Amino acid sequence: MSYCVNCGVELHKTCEVCPLCNTKVCHPEQEADRLSPPPYPDQKGDMDPVQRSDMTILLSVVLAVTAVICGLLNLFVFYGTYWSLYVIGGCVLLWIFCLPVFFFRIRVYISLLMDGLGIALYFGMIALLHPGNGWYPALALPLVVLATGLILLLAVYVKKMHASVLSGSVLVLSEVSVFTVSVELLIDGFLGTPFGITWSAVVLTCCVVIDAALITIIRRSRLREEVRRRMHI
Amino acid sequence: MIIIMKKKTFVKRPWYRLDLSAIVYPTLQRRNFSSVYRISVLLKEKIDPVVLQQAVDQTMPRFPTFKVAMRKGVFWRYLEPNDQPGPFVEPDIVNPCMPMSFKRRGRYLIRVYYYQNRISLEVFHSLSDGSGALCLLRTLTAVYLRLMGHPIPDGHGVLAVKEQPDPEELEDAYRRYANSRVRPPRSRSRTYRIRGTKEPFYTLNIITGILAVDQLLTVTKKYKVTVTEYLNAVLLYALLGKQKEDRVFRELPVSLAMPVNLRRFFPSKTLRNFITMVYPLVDPRMGDYTFEEVLTQVHYYMRYYLNDKFLNADITTNAAVTQNPLIRVVPLFVKDLVVRQFYKRVQDKQSSAGLTNLGIVDVPEEMRAYVERFDVLMGQPFSARTNCAVVSYGNVLSISFASSIVEADVERLFFRKLVQEGIHVKIETNRKRGK
Repeated sequence: MSYCVNCGVELHKTCEVCPLCNTKVCHPEQEADRLSPPPYPDQKGDMDPVQRSDMTILLSVVLAVTAVICGLLNLFVFYGTYWSLYVIGGCVLLWIFCLPVFFFRIRVYISLLMDGLGIALYFGMIALLHPGNGWYPALALPLVVLATGLILLLAVYVKKMHASVLSGSVLVLSEVSVFTVSVELLIDGFLGTPFGITWSAVVLTCCVVIDAALITIIRRSRLREEVRRRMHI
Repeated sequence: MIIIMKKKTFVKRPWYRLDLSAIVYPTLQRRNFSSVYRISVLLKEKIDPVVLQQAVDQTMPRFPTFKVAMRKGVFWRYLEPNDQPGPFVEPDIVNPCMPMSFKRRGRYLIRVYYYQNRISLEVFHSLSDGSGALCLLRTLTAVYLRLMGHPIPDGHGVLAVKEQPDPEELEDAYRRYANSRVRPPRSRSRTYRIRGTKEPFYTLNIITGILAVDQLLTVTKKYKVTVTEYLNAVLLYALLGKQKEDRVFRELPVSLAMPVNLRRFFPSKTLRNFITMVYPLVDPRMGDYTFEEVLTQVHYYMRYYLNDKFLNADITTNAAVTQNPLIRVVPLFVKDLVVRQFYKRVQDKQSSAGLTNLGIVDVPEEMRAYVERFDVLMGQPFSARTNCAVVSYGNVLSISFASSIVEADVERLFFRKLVQEGIHVKIETNRKRGK
C-alpha cells in the first residue's frame, strides 16, 4: 500500500499520483499496480441523442401549411397584390432560422451563412415587389453581407481560438464600430452626399476607448486576473 | 343474428403528482445537467450481468414509483407508469450521473450499472430521495444474491418483492405533514462560491475517502458531537481555508446545503422524496474561526433547527408556494422559466457546497457476509463546485466528493484535516491514472 507524502492518505493501489495534490506516488519497493482493475472503468458514457424529429416535422408542417394556404388565398380570394409572398418568405426565413434546432449536428458556420442568405433573398423579394430607387443593391445587400461576415468572424474566433470573455468583447466592440461606420458610409453613398463620418464617430470613439481599456487589461496579466476574480469570469 | 357487444371496461391508469421536492428537478434539466445521484453497493464477488438483469426484472414491479416516465401537463409535470421494456443493466462508465433525457432509453428515469463487484443505481431525483433509492438498491441486491443461490430473508430495508406495494410507500408525505400555522420567511445571503477550472462537458471528478467508523467515532466523542455535525464542520473549515487560499477581494459567508431526512421527525414509509434543506453557515467576516469554533457553530445550528417544529414550518412554506391558486394556474413553461432563473440567481448562490449523509445502512444478518460497503454520490453539481455524500455500512464509512472542476483543493483540505485528527483515510478516484 502507498501513502501520499503530502496528504498522509492511503492511495488505491492503481493510483500513480495522489488525486488530492497531484504528488507522484513513489514507493521504492512497490511499483504502481497497472494490472489490477481501477475503481472505475475507462469507458466513457455517451449522451443520449436528443429526439428532435417530432419538433422538426411539427414546425415544418405548420410553416408549410401557412405558406400554402396564404398562397391559395392570394390566388383565389384576396387577389390584386402579391401580399402572400411576404408571408411565404417569412415562413421560409423562420424555417431557416430554426435549422440549428431541427438538426443538432449542423455546423454553426453553415447555419449562419444560410441565415444571411435567407435574409438577403427575403430583402431581394421585397425589392422585386418595390424596386424603389435601387435601395437593395446600394444599401440592403451590402449591409446584410457585412453583418453576416462580421458574425461569421466572431463565430470562428470564439470556436477556433477558444476566446476568453475579455478578448471576445474586444472583437464584438470592434465589429460594432466597423458596422456603424459602414452603415453611415453606405447611407452617404446611397443618398449621393459626400462621404464622411459624423454620428458614427461617437460610437467609434466609445468602442475604441473601451477596446483600449480591455486590451490593456488582457496584456497586463496581474490586472487581468484581478478583473476575472472580481467579475467571476 | 345476435351480435354480442362486449362492453369495454375503462382501466384507470394510476399517475403520480410530483412531490414538493420533485417539482424543481425537471425544471433545472439542461442538455448538460440532470439532477441524478448514484448509490452503489460493493459485493464480495464479481457481478454476473445476466443474473443482475433478472434481479432488476423481478424487483421493479415492487417499486411502482421507480418504474415511471416523466410527462408534461399544462400546469405541472407528473409521473406515469412506464410499461416499456427495461430498465436494462449496463457496464459502468467512468463519468457517472450523466444527464438523463426524459424521452430516451424507454423513458426510464433510473439506470443500473455493474463493474467488477459493484452494482450502481442512478436515480433522477424527482423519483425519490436517497432513502427510497437505498431501499430499492438493498432489495435489488438481496434478489440478486438469492438468484445466486444465497438465502437472504426480507427485512432491514429489503422489501418482499412478491407483495403488493404498501400505499404509504407511494404517498406524498409532504401533504400529510405540512400543516404549520406559521410560514417563516426566508432570507439568506450570498455565499462564497468555489472558483476553479471547469472540466469539459460530462466530466465528473470523483474522489472517495474510505474511513473506519470506530476511529471517526473516537474523534467525534472527543468533541461531543455527532458524525454529521463533525463532517459538516470539517467541510466548512475546508471551504474557509479554500476562500483564504483564493485571496478573494471581499470575503463571503461559507455555507453548506444539507438535505435532512424528514422520516426521522415525521413517521412515513414513503419511498418518494421526503427531505428538506438546511444551510449551516459560518461567516468569516466576523473574524477568523478555529476548527473548534466552527464545530460549536454547526453543533448549535443543528440543535436549533433540526426539530419537528422548525422543519414543519419549513416544508409548509415550500408547500404554500405550490398550493397558491395564482401560481397553480400559471402555464408550465412560464413556471419553468421563473423557477430556473430563481434557482440560478438566488438558490444556487446560497450554498458553497452540498453535503448529504445517508446515515447507517443496515441489511439482513444473512446478507452481511456478501456486502463489502455502500457508496453514495450526489451527482453533477448545478454550478462549478463540489458535492459531498456520506454513507456508512458496518465499520466502513465512505465519503464521496463529486465535482465538475479540475482543482481538488476542497477535497484535499477536507481529507488532510481528517488525517490530522488521526483518522486513517483510503482514497479511490476516477481521475485518470498518472494525469
